[in-house]
Amino acid sequence: MMSKIVNNNKLMIGLVCFIIGLMVAILFNTNKSPSERDTRDTWEIRTALLQEQKDQQTLYEEIENEEQILLEYHNKTEHQQINALKESIDQLKMEAGLTNKEGKGVVLTLEPLFLDNNYQEYPQLNAELLQHFINELNAFGAEDIAIGEQRIIDTTPIRDVNEEVYVNHTSISDLPIEIHILTDEPSQLMNHIDVSEVNDYFALEDIRINIEEKQSITVPMYEGSINLNDLDVVEVEEGEQ
Amino acid sequence: MWLPALFLIVGLALGLLTNITIPDIYTNYLSIAVLAALDTLFGGVRAQLESKFDQKVFISGFFFNVSLAAFLAFLGVQLGIDLYLAAIFAFGVRLFQNIAIIRRILLDRYSKKANK
Repeated sequence: MMSKIVNNNKLMIGLVCFIIGLMVAILFNTNKSPSERDTRDTWEIRTALLQEQKDQQTLYEEIENEEQILLEYHNKTEHQQINALKESIDQLKMEAGLTNKEGKGVVLTLEPLFLDNNYQEYPQLNAELLQHFINELNAFGAEDIAIGEQRIIDTTPIRDVNEEVYVNHTSISDLPIEIHILTDEPSQLMNHIDVSEVNDYFALEDIRINIEEKQSITVPMYEGSINLNDLDVVEVEEGEQ
Repeated sequence: MWLPALFLIVGLALGLLTNITIPDIYTNYLSIAVLAALDTLFGGVRAQLESKFDQKVFISGFFFNVSLAAFLAFLGVQLGIDLYLAAIFAFGVRLFQNIAIIRRILLDRYSKKANK
């Protein structure tokens, strides 16, 4: 009789243990972040693979280029080395936007869009919209951009200060504003802008985009100094080739 | 002694293998229910060691504590008060107490055995 009760008790404790185990397991399952499933089909994976291969190819080409330059440095006399270095510096300056640049491109004019002459405030640009627009332009293949006289470089800030838009720490004028864009494919860029949603966003602010293709435009150079105080050179060991 | 452990492992395995999940919003309730269940379990173990285990008390305590904890959590959510903290605190303190008593009893037994 006694042993049966004990057995029964143990069974009950066992049952409770079982329930606890179940609850803990469920809790564990729930808290475990679900692993993201790969839902891409073969075609998408193939495209992604192709893209990666292209990237790899580009990187290889870049490496080859750099190695070529390195080789040239090594092989030249001191005078020639200095010349080569100067060339590189000029090249880098151009890439960083520290020189005037000329080429074919597009001139955009942001103009006020007046729907009702009597009851409308003069439209104003805002930094968010402008930033969005610059991002779109970059995505569409713009190479060098200047807003008014301000060249856009990698670290250019665009922000609202006292209800004025500041680019490169300088206030840009009220509308209309000219944006100069250098690109290899002006017509493509124009088409992109034509069908872009950004037109609607500008229209909401009563601003119209006027596009003009030009065979030769000049974007001014960036006039400030580029602040690289917070950048450090990463020591990289010679990696695999 | 091995039976509860076996059941615990079976429960864990079953839960993990079936991959049951519950919606995120209910995890609070379940976690507090787990705590309540653990509290009851250790209470039961202690009672067993003190030879005053009562199956009715144990089973009713288990279900009552679990549902009360869940209810407290629910009430807390409705009222915007973190009431489940009260449950966590109460169960947590009791859990430690029970485990401490279990430890003492076991130590006592061990030293008695050693003396013999």
